[in-house]
Amino acid sequence: MIQVQDVVRNYKAGETVVKALKGVSLEIADGEFLSIAGPSGSGKTTLLNLIGCIDSLDGGEITIDGVPVSRMDKHAKTEFRRNNLGFIFQTYNLIPVLSAYENVSFVLSILNVPEREIKERTMMILQEVGLTGMEDRRPDRLSGGQQQRIAIARALVKNPKIVLADEPTANLDSKTGEEILRLMQEMNRKYHTTFIFSTHDRMVMDYARRLVSLHDGQVTGDERREA
Amino acid sequence: MVRFLLALACKNLLRYKRRTVITSVAIAVGLALFIIIDSILIGVNEDSVRNIRWHETSSVRIMHADYWKDRLLMPLEVHISDVQEKIGLLGEHGLTATPRITFSAQMILHAEDFGEDGNLPVVVTAVDPRTDNSVFRFEETLIDGRFATSGSNELVMGSWLAQDIRAKVGHWVSLVARGNGGFFEAMDMQIVGIVNCPNPNVNRSLIMVPIDTVGIYLDMEDLATEIDVALPASADPDEAASRIPGILGNGEQALAVMTWRELSSEYLAVIGMERKSSSIILFLVFLIAAVGISNTMIMAINERTRELGMMRALGMPDPLIQVLFIIESGGIGLLGSISGTVLGSVANIFLVRNGIDFGFLMRMNDFGYRVQGIFRGAWSVQSLATTFAAGVVLSMLVAWIPTRRAINKDIPACLRHQ
Repeated sequence: MIQVQDVVRNYKAGETVVKALKGVSLEIADGEFLSIAGPSGSGKTTLLNLIGCIDSLDGGEITIDGVPVSRMDKHAKTEFRRNNLGFIFQTYNLIPVLSAYENVSFVLSILNVPEREIKERTMMILQEVGLTGMEDRRPDRLSGGQQQRIAIARALVKNPKIVLADEPTANLDSKTGEEILRLMQEMNRKYHTTFIFSTHDRMVMDYARRLVSLHDGQVTGDERREA
Repeated sequence: MVRFLLALACKNLLRYKRRTVITSVAIAVGLALFIIIDSILIGVNEDSVRNIRWHETSSVRIMHADYWKDRLLMPLEVHISDVQEKIGLLGEHGLTATPRITFSAQMILHAEDFGEDGNLPVVVTAVDPRTDNSVFRFEETLIDGRFATSGSNELVMGSWLAQDIRAKVGHWVSLVARGNGGFFEAMDMQIVGIVNCPNPNVNRSLIMVPIDTVGIYLDMEDLATEIDVALPASADPDEAASRIPGILGNGEQALAVMTWRELSSEYLAVIGMERKSSSIILFLVFLIAAVGISNTMIMAINERTRELGMMRALGMPDPLIQVLFIIESGGIGLLGSISGTVLGSVANIFLVRNGIDFGFLMRMNDFGYRVQGIFRGAWSVQSLATTFAAGVVLSMLVAWIPTRRAINKDIPACLRHQ
């Protein structure tokens, strides 16, 4: 369970203070497939970053499974992210010199998982995302959709509680985008992992089972739907 | 994890091949230059020390106890007596020794031989022609004529001095000097030989005459201002110097025994300074290399800021990210150090075998080195190892600051980086 309570986040842009989040409160249950929607500048990415423990808030509190992550120091946050969170980025952010296999397996290396287990789990997740036979290919020899599949595999290989995806389909054509969303849905159902993704794309919002709308740093809607 | 970091670092080095090569080449050239300069300095120093022992100081010198402090005045009154007896005693203990008298004189040049009359102050060394070459090494330096014979009025001169005054074998000069007791004496001497020695000091100023002739002229028979002792290169001069007073016994004369190191302390001090200057060169080389590597790492980190942000977001600890970049930087340093050491060593093979001829410089200037022309290199495993290790270690150290700065940046800022 993720609890976001009265979260405030301000940024300084020169002399001006930009209020990115103005007291956002949310509760996200385990296994949800939730989309944070809103126009550019509404605070979607900021909220994702705060839940993902890669940014610090100026007010309020965030707890994950009862742990007040927003109060953690830098090292504790790093450890929390390493053990509990997966990330999918709009621009994939794969390491270009590593193969598909290595891009996924390095997450387990950081966790000091034994070599044999790394191999088993990596091969299995690459199979799950439909990249069997492409393990040795580097990102530059893969399409955008295939690269995002690697990113999904990378996020899921460590069996995280939560996967945070910032505009995961923004760089993909609509057909590939839908494939990626279906894959994420499938993984959400199969592993019961909480998926939180930001988007401003109507098609992407349609895949979400819960749609939280943000506007000017405030929650303007919270809609639950049937899958 | 370590294997992953090493593999990723190697792949990243190959990813920026051109940059890696350019930075490594800069380090390699710097290190190779240092190896070459250091090798020449070590080689010149070794040759200088050898030439000092062979042509100036011998291994150990025995003097009157009061002579050293007045040595610049070259006082004949402060001498060693019963020289032959002392040399005999040293010989009985396996020490080869020869007497010398050093005195200042005015050398008068005559118009018949030199075209015009003239004179110049000189330092004259009176040697025993029978034993001098068993302690010093002048035998192979003769380029014209022959050595002076005992009891003769013959003189051997250094080649550069001979060139400067246009002296030739067969010319006559007069030496006017103050004798033992203060009287003045004039000695007519014929130049019978010219020596060209590896030691430029000798070529620049040597005037060598027979000691028995000078003994008669200057009232120095069986007297000497010094007794020089030869030791094998492997022998310890300090040990010999401590043994000699026991051999010579407690006579009525107080004697001082000094090793070549003490006698050439001024030269050794200069060399010490020059070794320090080679450290400054090393520092400058590394400063240039450090700027190069630092620049390369700043570019690499800047280009990979998003990648770095992703790694941090996925929970890779900051110290591991720092280690990754330091390994990469160390890899560049390793490539540069290997290439530089190989390049420097190949150049050093030539330097050790053939050397570089700096004769034109040494003829005109006195740099203090006792090497006449060809500066040869020398191998120093310690120097090569230090240079190699410093190349790698310093490369790793200079990556520290840019990496530190990168991991202090906010993760969202890293992920937004264009």
